[in-house]
Amino acid sequence: MPKHIVRLTVLLFCGLFFALVMKWAFTAPSFYQYGHYRGDAVAEMASRKVAYQGAASCRSCHSERLAQWSAGSHKSVNCETCHGAGAEHPAKAQLAIPEDSRKLCSLCHQKMAERPRAQPQIDLAQHGAAQQCVVCHDPHSPKLAGVVAAVRGDASAGHAKHAETCAGCHGEQGLSDNDAWPNLAGQNAAYIVHRLAAFKSGAQKDPMMSTMAQALGSADIQNLATYYGAASCAAPAKGRVTEEGKALAKNCAACHGEKGEGVNPAWPRLAGQKPGYLADALKAFRAGLRKDPTMSGIARSLSDADISSLASYYAAQSCSIPLARKLP
Amino acid sequence: MNKERISSLLARRAFLRKLGASAAAAGVAAKVLAASPQRPAYPDPNYDWSQHRWAFAVDATKCIGCLRCVEACKRENEVLPDAHHFNTWVERYVYLEGEEKPRIDSQDDPVNIAASGSEAQYRFADRYKDEKVEKAFFVPKLCNQCTNPACVQVCPTGATFKTKDGVVLIDQTYCIGCQYCVQACPYGARWFNAKKNVTQKCYWCYHRTTRGMMPACVEACPVGARMFGDLNDRQSRVSLFVRNNRVRVLKPETGNGPNVYYLGLDKDVV
Repeated sequence: MPKHIVRLTVLLFCGLFFALVMKWAFTAPSFYQYGHYRGDAVAEMASRKVAYQGAASCRSCHSERLAQWSAGSHKSVNCETCHGAGAEHPAKAQLAIPEDSRKLCSLCHQKMAERPRAQPQIDLAQHGAAQQCVVCHDPHSPKLAGVVAAVRGDASAGHAKHAETCAGCHGEQGLSDNDAWPNLAGQNAAYIVHRLAAFKSGAQKDPMMSTMAQALGSADIQNLATYYGAASCAAPAKGRVTEEGKALAKNCAACHGEKGEGVNPAWPRLAGQKPGYLADALKAFRAGLRKDPTMSGIARSLSDADISSLASYYAAQSCSIPLARKLP
Repeated sequence: MNKERISSLLARRAFLRKLGASAAAAGVAAKVLAASPQRPAYPDPNYDWSQHRWAFAVDATKCIGCLRCVEACKRENEVLPDAHHFNTWVERYVYLEGEEKPRIDSQDDPVNIAASGSEAQYRFADRYKDEKVEKAFFVPKLCNQCTNPACVQVCPTGATFKTKDGVVLIDQTYCIGCQYCVQACPYGARWFNAKKNVTQKCYWCYHRTTRGMMPACVEACPVGARMFGDLNDRQSRVSLFVRNNRVRVLKPETGNGPNVYYLGLDKDVV
């Protein structure tokens, strides 16, 4: 074989050998293990840290919240959707309790034409008077207890029952003489049904009312509510409007109406109510003696002075303003 | 022919026969070795990638555009916290009265950035509230983990590849940042991380799914518009969804074989 061919061949083989050595040296050992890629990369990717832990991981410490949440209409929304990833919690970090609920809630509930109709949506400008959503809605179970069953009683039978059992304290016309006992005339019928039912079942307790309500049948309750709902409440207004009272009442307007006229038949009208009764009720909510998911939270933020100015603000309003809005 | 010559020929034949037999044996051994249940060292040792065929489904009729999925994904996968890099994102299609084509926007739109107040938070601005909207909806998007991925085909280094359970992964140590794959992907699912000089994308939270968890976006979705599951399991949520609905995929004509199944898309969604 000619010498130059031998040299060229040797050179080629040297080059090939060098290339193979380089390939061997630089290719990761797991390359081609499963295919044209580094086999170890699969396990590396799979071993990355998990940030979102899932609602089940919250159960061990927050079982009570979890039970409340899983029974409510927000059960499809996982804990971490609002509170953020639980990776560092509880070992290193606390999870945020969202501060601006109006901002957070509106991410899903702001009214937009793009959203599916089934999604509950609110017009931010119209709803809740710029208050934080959590004032009225418990984020873990946001539906309000505003479900109104139609009240269908007989007003004249209600009047008879009233004259027989209630008039002694609540007045001939349903307008009480005592500052600590509420006026009933003109009150929302559905609200009266709720209250009497609560006294009857023991959900709400009062030395007087509990025994009175236990003696009432459900037909009596319907009749009474119908009678009170239709009765005229034109009574001389008692309280006086202060600037503080007016300012505080803005926070109540979303549910009770601007002047306490009421917006939802399930919630009480406050206009023209006895100031002493209103103050007692707020204090009972504050102390936990009367229970309501919405009112308890609100009353806890009120001082005695706040309560008295609010009570006298509502007492000073004329109760004969019609209900602002009927339920759809 | 002399005796010596014959015997050497016989010897050669015997040698060749042995050689052939040993080569065949080596081949069989290699085959057996490859067929043995060899699999990556997953954090969950029971996870077998040959047993799963992951798929994703989106019910666009349910999506409310809250973008909790986007924020969850960013947090889970350490995606750059700005309004221009996303593993998953949501598009808004709005048809105004008298207009033929939809108006499309997403989180990178300045109006939406302004509405959220920062580039690290995401929300859709209520920008059409004064317009007459004829039809509008949201479309969540993410990597389709295609069956014949164009991105894998163009990768010059073997940095991106398809796993046996159906997910396209990127090996960041092998990625040279050439961005061929970014160009190749017909869905715009890949983005380039200039800081790390690597390409990134959604990988259906492979680190979660191989541990038996749902991807972060599925976990975060408050309305159940996103679904993830195993097509090998006929009772999984995705299997049922794909079977019981008339679903479609995006751009089937590209031949990539996408694996995100959509319900409720309009003709203009691509």
